[in-house]
Amino acid sequence: METATAHATEHHEHVHGHEEHHEETFLTKYIFSQDHKMISKQFLITGIFWGVVGGLLSVLFRLQLGWPNETFPFLESFLGKWAEGGKISQEFYYALVTMHGTILVFFVLTGGLSGTFANLLIPYQVGSRDMASPFINMLSYWFFLGAGVVMFFSFFIQTGPASGGWTAYPPINGLRNTAVNLGSGLGFDLWILGMTLFIVSALLGGLNYIATVLNMRTKGMNMFRLPLTIWALMFTAVIGVLSFPALLAGCVLLEFDRLLDTSFYLNNIIINGNLLGYKGGSPILFQHLFWFLGHPEVYIIILPAMGLVSEVLSTQSRKPIFGYKAMIFSILAILVLSFIVWAHHMFVTGLNPNLGAIFTLFTLLIAIPSAIKVFNWIGTVWKGKVRLVTAALFAIGFVSMFITGGLTGIILGNSAIDIQLHDTMFVVAHFHIVMGVSAFFGMFAGVYHWYPRLYGRYMNETLGQIHFYITLIGAYAIFFPMHFMTGLPRRYYTYANFETFNNFNFLAEFISIAAIIVFIGQIIFVVNFFYSIFNGRKVAAEKTVDGHDYANPWGTTTMEWSAPIERLHGNWPGDIPAVHRWPYDYSVNGREYIPQTEALKPGEVPHE
Amino acid sequence: MVTFLVFATIVLLLAVLVLIAKASELAADLKDGKVSYVNQSKWNGYFLLSFLIFMFVGSAMCFKILMPVMIPKAASIHGVKTDFLFNVTMLIIGIVFVLTQIALFYFAYRYNESKGHEAYFYPHNNTLEVIWTVIPSIVLTGLIAMGMYEWMKIFDASARDKNMMVIEATGKQFNWMLRYSGKDGKFGERIIDQAHVSPTNELGINWEDPKSHDDFMSDKLYLVKNKPVLMKLGAQDVLHSFFLPHFRVKMDCVPGIPTEFYFTPTMTTEEMRTYLSTQPWWQTINPETGQPRWQTFRYELACAELCGKSHFGMERDVIVVEQREYDEWLAKQTPMYTPPVAETPVVDSAKAEVKKPTAMLEKK
Repeated sequence: METATAHATEHHEHVHGHEEHHEETFLTKYIFSQDHKMISKQFLITGIFWGVVGGLLSVLFRLQLGWPNETFPFLESFLGKWAEGGKISQEFYYALVTMHGTILVFFVLTGGLSGTFANLLIPYQVGSRDMASPFINMLSYWFFLGAGVVMFFSFFIQTGPASGGWTAYPPINGLRNTAVNLGSGLGFDLWILGMTLFIVSALLGGLNYIATVLNMRTKGMNMFRLPLTIWALMFTAVIGVLSFPALLAGCVLLEFDRLLDTSFYLNNIIINGNLLGYKGGSPILFQHLFWFLGHPEVYIIILPAMGLVSEVLSTQSRKPIFGYKAMIFSILAILVLSFIVWAHHMFVTGLNPNLGAIFTLFTLLIAIPSAIKVFNWIGTVWKGKVRLVTAALFAIGFVSMFITGGLTGIILGNSAIDIQLHDTMFVVAHFHIVMGVSAFFGMFAGVYHWYPRLYGRYMNETLGQIHFYITLIGAYAIFFPMHFMTGLPRRYYTYANFETFNNFNFLAEFISIAAIIVFIGQIIFVVNFFYSIFNGRKVAAEKTVDGHDYANPWGTTTMEWSAPIERLHGNWPGDIPAVHRWPYDYSVNGREYIPQTEALKPGEVPHE
Repeated sequence: MVTFLVFATIVLLLAVLVLIAKASELAADLKDGKVSYVNQSKWNGYFLLSFLIFMFVGSAMCFKILMPVMIPKAASIHGVKTDFLFNVTMLIIGIVFVLTQIALFYFAYRYNESKGHEAYFYPHNNTLEVIWTVIPSIVLTGLIAMGMYEWMKIFDASARDKNMMVIEATGKQFNWMLRYSGKDGKFGERIIDQAHVSPTNELGINWEDPKSHDDFMSDKLYLVKNKPVLMKLGAQDVLHSFFLPHFRVKMDCVPGIPTEFYFTPTMTTEEMRTYLSTQPWWQTINPETGQPRWQTFRYELACAELCGKSHFGMERDVIVVEQREYDEWLAKQTPMYTPPVAETPVVDSAKAEVKKPTAMLEKK
């Protein structure tokens, strides 16, 4: 029974055995819910909304990039003055790329991904009735939603949304002057406000996730019995808690420059021959603050996906994850290194060359834990008994994408080579594959795999596989050839002004067509998702105890299916089961799997 | 109307897809009351294997079709070296790419559950894990060392040629201002304050400094073959980035903070054209000019840091010539400076006041 009072959790422990029938209003159950499962759904559905919006923005600017000489009259009917005569305006093009980046990086792959799976899996897999603070957890969602509302609103103002790049570099974003950049007016104020709310949400959520994992594990669940999902989600939260404040500080100072005419980031700005009064600031300072979050941010995006994929691959291969502890320590190594590599985004800002060399060293070191993880995933599939359901396909797709995208990072991380490649389409190809597409694959693997846990139904496998192949082939078709645009600067509205960059028109068109197909492929996912909520195949009960139906659809060892199929508030109707073994007892002792909650047999030595 | 029909068609197709998918679910194999995925695994095994082949064919096609149209070989000393480093890295990661993708997709095919085997409980192997930690570490150490060595050499200020050219490039929305030091080889001083910076003197050049009197501006970037050049870089309004793709040069231009980049061009424009005239793709006719592509080849300067709505338009031609031609060109240039009697920079009393940032003015 899903109740929404803060004390229901404790209450449940005292009264287990007989059921409460709290009358819940629509408001407390679906809207202001403090139940981690409902908050997880709220994050996921909000994330899907943002995913569609962010994807649609990319389709719009791909229209411009693919067919720079064509007009699309239907655009004018949707976008009005932003696409007069059916041609996307320069200002709006830059607004599109800026908001595409902001939305997908923060609202989909940070909020949507961590928010969904940390909320769903942490309490279920550590054996806890809910988050450490369900109320703060609820606030985390509402700040996230508020941030989204502010961002979305910025599309409908006179000067349009922020258009100075998702990295928000000053001075273009530091001058509140629409003559310098149209999106740097009210649009960018809203961007800052939206990001501030978002950061509050990320911090509230992150602190809660860490507290829950550290304090609310069930009996017997010591740290080395946690599944890799939990390790990844916890380390993600740690990174977020340590790095988001730097961005907040950076953004607040930026807003001071804009509204109060301070000079944190501005110095000797000359507009049309008029020297402005700013003195002594440094635009590079902002870049340091931004990338001190910005680089860990890509690990905030990819680590949860890694955790989900580790779990899905192991479960669907019916085989323990290869090198459980190596996986944990490699995530830890990535966590530590993620804080000392940020300046590789700034190799050509005039940084001291010695710093460039040091940052090259640390950056390339990240390849080592990443390589360990890849080899361990492949080792997990090896000699498994792989059930190639959609979730497993996406997990395999994740590993493939992560390899492809990760390898080009070795090129970009090398400062001497980066001189040429910095801010070109090669970078765009690299980070889209390694963190964008990969993280999406991880997220999809997670959604297909844990959908039964969320809704008690399966998503449709046929649609899922169509979605998978369209996305896999399409994403490679978009981003693999893009690597060959090694000299083409990114964020160009058209390449027509340059003889040098004009050789790739046919490729730009090809990429745009692929992008549109992939976008339509994602609609299949959205349809499948919402259709399955009401009409999906139900999870069949395997046993019934005390009136509660239990099942274990994928035959998983972790704790989430030791709870009934029904999503009870408090998760388990009676006591929380204790844990007796590590989470990867697959295909051992003649059994296909042994749940963590199953006691050791006399004489059985636990795997440690 | 057409748009509406397109959308309607997509919606209908999706609806049909959902119905077919639903039907397939009803017809799914059941085993002990649970859906069996064996058949599905079998087919997906084949699909994944086909995808592996498709991916390799696709990658090979990318190399075949796209390599020839990429920016041609480096035309600077350090560019040749960083390109070499790029190629070495590319080769190494190419091998890793092929091996790991084969392993991943082949294992997924070979060990899918339709093969009727049992999974092998194999939780870890320390030897294997040490091997695949140590080998990448060694390879990366080599790459890091090579990269750092080249990087430090590119930015080693003590190794610069005393006879280098110095050119100043300043980015502004949406143009490059290229300043040469003229015959004396020395730039006039720039003072960034209200007294010096004005719409007629955007760079704030101090005309009282005699060194400024032969400075001139050029709308093309002239460079000399084999003569090292130090680009002194800056920006007026927002960030720009000075990008010479053919010379593998890129450095941000930051308002208020000077940056620089030192390099040596090694091929004149004519030499590059001659080289390209032997390349098949460059021999094809450019439909816009009606001439073979190599004939109209030119080096270009671009902006690589988002600087506003016309960021994509900051193009300047770059021309690399022999010293002799450069000297001829130099002799023809006219200095910016005009004697003070004829044209004193206009002192407008309103403008002489300390100006407030325009942002502040706008708000009122």
